[in-house]
Amino acid sequence: MKGRIGIIWLLVAIPLLWGVFKTLQNALKLFQ
Amino acid sequence: MTTGFFARESTVAPPGFNRFQVPPAALAVHLCIGQAYAFSTFNLPLTKLLGITQSAPGDWSLKDVGWIFSIAILFLGSSAALFGRWVERVGPRLSMFVSALCFGGGFLLAAAGIYLHQLWIVYLGYGVLGGCGLGIGYISPVSTLIKWFPDKPGMATGMAIMGFGGGALIGAPLSVLLMKHFATPTSSGVFETFVTMGVIYFVFMMIGVFSIRVPSADWKPAGWVPAAHAKPLVTTANVSVDVAWKTPQFWLLWGVLCMNVTAGIGVLGQASPMIQEMFSGKVTPVVAASFVGLLSLFNMGGRFIWASTSDYIGRRNTYMIFFLLGMALYASIPTLGHNQSLPLFVTAFCIILSMYGGGFATIPAYLRDVFGTYQVGAIHGRLLTAWSVAGVLGPVLVNYIRQAQIDSGVPKAQAYSITMYIMCGLLLIGFICNFAMRAVDPKYHYKGAIGASDGSAH
Repeated sequence: MKGRIGIIWLLVAIPLLWGVFKTLQNALKLFQ
Repeated sequence: MTTGFFARESTVAPPGFNRFQVPPAALAVHLCIGQAYAFSTFNLPLTKLLGITQSAPGDWSLKDVGWIFSIAILFLGSSAALFGRWVERVGPRLSMFVSALCFGGGFLLAAAGIYLHQLWIVYLGYGVLGGCGLGIGYISPVSTLIKWFPDKPGMATGMAIMGFGGGALIGAPLSVLLMKHFATPTSSGVFETFVTMGVIYFVFMMIGVFSIRVPSADWKPAGWVPAAHAKPLVTTANVSVDVAWKTPQFWLLWGVLCMNVTAGIGVLGQASPMIQEMFSGKVTPVVAASFVGLLSLFNMGGRFIWASTSDYIGRRNTYMIFFLLGMALYASIPTLGHNQSLPLFVTAFCIILSMYGGGFATIPAYLRDVFGTYQVGAIHGRLLTAWSVAGVLGPVLVNYIRQAQIDSGVPKAQAYSITMYIMCGLLLIGFICNFAMRAVDPKYHYKGAIGASDGSAH
């Protein structure tokens, strides 16, 4: 059960973190 | 009556089910439909489908392409209001599936419109069909989450609605990446991108369809005891959707949401030109795009943080902060622009946008406090018409006033001052609506028996 929940959380967290990373990468230009 | 895999009865969780499986199921849907906020990445490519490198005769104009997003948002609000009761009746699994079919199918139909170069098919696909997918998908997990987390409804719905904000952070780089991948000297790759995104989003939304569960009728979190003394504005009674919208409380909350969204959405749409014009020579278009990205990040983060905070300080107090702090920040913008204080300017807008997102994410829990859990999803659906109105009102106010200021000879850098003060006025109206909130008169309370797990009357 715990493994299943972990997989579902990972499936949604990976694309979200990728999006946040890409946005932060661009946002850094604001402070350069 | 639905039977089999999609029936509400098939989604009732077995004993010992971990409720923390439900938020990622909701996120799987919201992260996809949140792509709508990033639709503007397609605007320019859609105006160069024939000319590829630049617009050619026969290519669609930017003005006409802009309607795709507007139609989608219009159908988001309408479908959420129209199908809210159906969503409550059939449960989250079937409604999420229909949302996935509409949203993924909308991309595919729009792709056909792009292939045939028929704009009306794109309107019908992404705007109408996709818009219905947005509306149904947006409300489908809300009441389920509230029932799973009676102890922390703000945090639970905030997590899901955060996904809608996060969807843009994924959708924007994903569409740019795919268009770059599919582009050839004879094609801009938009058609292939729409087909790919339609399939990806449909598959991803199916994660939510397969993993969503509703609690059984008698389920409560382990060790949780409902508060013995009711807090002001938090009811233990229920109000049905058909009665709720006849109460003054519904329209006060409608005003609260509409004013909060109008103030934020107008600025969000104009953020890039605004920072360039107010900090002329200091901020380039690339840096302005970074500013917009940063605002999206705070829009997303604010949804979770503010909605979770509302579980501790109360919904009414949370909105009091939004309106009072919002007014102070908007009023400070002209001075910050005049003093050329870029870091303070950026900070102020980041906080404003966090409260814009927080307003969306806290409203389902506010509705639950005021109208109870019975049909809260359907009531939320009807309240989202405030979003459709704000989606038109906000940008029109900002654009119209800015243009009128420039036409009357005001320098571009100062053309936003009046707008900021008008935003303060809108927030003041929202503050008054929130201040006037009282508990619903008991004469409106639902007297019938309610199945706790299904939200249906018996």
